[in-house]
Amino acid sequence: MRRLHSALAVLLAGSMLSLPGSLAAQERTVKITGFGAKSGVVRVFGINSEAAMKAAAEEINKKGGVTLGDNTKAKLVVEFLDDRCNAEEGISVVRRIASTDAFVAVGPTCSNVAESLFGILQKKVGDASDSGLQFPIFADVAAKGGLAKISEWAFRNVPSEFEMYKSLIAWVRKEHPGLKTMYGGVEKDFAHSNATYGVMKGQAEGAGLQVLGTAEWLLNDTSFSTQVRDMKRANADIVAISAHPFTTCGVLKEMARQGVKPKLLIGLTSSSSIETLQGCARQAEGIIIPTSFAPVTPEAKAAADQVAKFGGSADLHSAAAYEIMFILKDVIESQKIMAKPDTVQADREKMRKGLAALTETKGLLGKVGRTADREAIKPYLYVHAKDGSWQVLHRPAL
Amino acid sequence: MDLLDLIDAVQSVADGVLFGATYALLGIGFTMIFGVMHKINLSYAAASIGAAYASLLVMAVLPVPPVLAYVAAAAAGGVIGGLVYLIGFRFIPLANPLATLMSTVGLLLLIDEIIVHMTDGVPLNYPALFSDVIVHVGPFGLRGDLMFVFALGCICMVLLLLLLYRSRLGLATRAVSQQPTASLLCGISTTRVNVLTFVITGVLGGIAGAMTGAAIGMLSPLLSLPLTVKGLIVTVIGGLGSIPGAIVAGLIVGGLENAFQFFRGVSERDLYIMLLLFAFLVFRPGGIFARPAGRD
Repeated sequence: MRRLHSALAVLLAGSMLSLPGSLAAQERTVKITGFGAKSGVVRVFGINSEAAMKAAAEEINKKGGVTLGDNTKAKLVVEFLDDRCNAEEGISVVRRIASTDAFVAVGPTCSNVAESLFGILQKKVGDASDSGLQFPIFADVAAKGGLAKISEWAFRNVPSEFEMYKSLIAWVRKEHPGLKTMYGGVEKDFAHSNATYGVMKGQAEGAGLQVLGTAEWLLNDTSFSTQVRDMKRANADIVAISAHPFTTCGVLKEMARQGVKPKLLIGLTSSSSIETLQGCARQAEGIIIPTSFAPVTPEAKAAADQVAKFGGSADLHSAAAYEIMFILKDVIESQKIMAKPDTVQADREKMRKGLAALTETKGLLGKVGRTADREAIKPYLYVHAKDGSWQVLHRPAL
Repeated sequence: MDLLDLIDAVQSVADGVLFGATYALLGIGFTMIFGVMHKINLSYAAASIGAAYASLLVMAVLPVPPVLAYVAAAAAGGVIGGLVYLIGFRFIPLANPLATLMSTVGLLLLIDEIIVHMTDGVPLNYPALFSDVIVHVGPFGLRGDLMFVFALGCICMVLLLLLLYRSRLGLATRAVSQQPTASLLCGISTTRVNVLTFVITGVLGGIAGAMTGAAIGMLSPLLSLPLTVKGLIVTVIGGLGSIPGAIVAGLIVGGLENAFQFFRGVSERDLYIMLLLFAFLVFRPGGIFARPAGRD
């Protein structure tokens, strides 16, 4: 027994002696917290964003990590929290992140969360009368136009759907001059679908297309026969559907049943995803959708492979999260962020200042412009569903 | 309204009535559980969709023809129904109506979230039978898949009625439903009847879930909530505990839903269905086939 005690004492002493050494050998880490929907029906967006952030962090870490203000190298660690696509929970999650030593957060998935969340941030930097949260948030998915203008602490790396559909409609008019009429379809109870349909319709009318009517349905509708019958009667050359994969597929299947075959189909950016092809590849054949991501450059291909390794899928939303990680690395280095518990507020201010000063960033499809109101001008292309996959149809020169 | 509008209106109603067979089956499930236990099982529609998802899982493992998806969904529905009883009713004090109600709300969310986590919320294709068939009757076209759904729904309802009115189990179920204490005194095990009721309604729910998936061509966790609401509306309009009422109410709600959508648009559609529900609650709280109040 005495021998056992002695052995334990030696082991304990040895471990105590080696402790400072092991601490010294520990790598310094910087935690970047993402947040978005990881439960509920838009869970897949959160999964993809998290995978993209982790994939990017691994790429950065492989190349040595990030250099902090005191010239030490740190590895990036990604944590991802669930806001359930709910505004109250999104606010709660960000307040929780802001109570740690985090100096930036990436998210959210849903525009309704972003809209409410940006509202609790300080509107104008340096306004002593505004007690709003002084914490930078960089949105990756929330797609509703112009949200970053709500607060000077809000930033987005989200494509401009206005520019994308303006370009697409102009291209359609040029390439298919014989198409004169359009019929719309919109998920009436979804902010993103509604806003984008407004853009589609406005651009179509502006480009001289006659909009014959609009079919409306709700996000969880199960029957589309009445809407498609109206669509059939209108017999438009183009059908533009502003809806997410579940109802897009429902409508496309009903169109196939009723024999509605427009000369051209246009879809919503968010439907240029694997879910649409899983749900209705045959019916979606030919649908054209503008997107800010497709694996068409070596960087984009590598990113798509890397994201897949982390269990996600690279699409126009998650690619934004991937790019954000590299943008954050650059800002951390250029602004000499310290990432220490006693420099939290200073680091947040530096991060905000660094992000606000950006005029251009590197994107997976090329250079991404930054606007004065903290939005992105991203390169885009048009994809179409062909043979069960998304293939590049046209890449407009920007 | 011109002739084309009239044709479209009739066609919309016809489509709605055919699809209403799924509402009717769901309504029967809600109403049977209420009839026997005097409890509302709010997780019923979610369990139905869960059973349809489970049948997809079976089909992914076993390369069986699509028609067997219905059998697999029915079997899965029965199992889930039994589990719902065990988790949400068996050990929860039945004297406290709020406790069982809340436990079924919890089960609804639990089943939904299990589906979401297993599928990442991605909609999945569901095999539709006769989806390429359209039967033309004059200017109208009736979808083959919806007619199949309607026919299957009718067969299920007939089988259920036979089970309830031509078998010992049905006799016991009706006895427990009407006089639980007297049934106990006659030697009927109420627990056994309750379990079997949940299993039978689960089987019906599984078929209803499969029918819904087939009619839409897809399954999504988004379906649980609207189907729960529709099932409840059908149950109230049909009369709590009335199976013939649930059948007729399901078809009426399906038809009216499409009619309201045709005439007033999607934004107002549900408003009118709710107004119909309130009208029944006020003027005919016993449902379509309400009998004059009697001793039982």
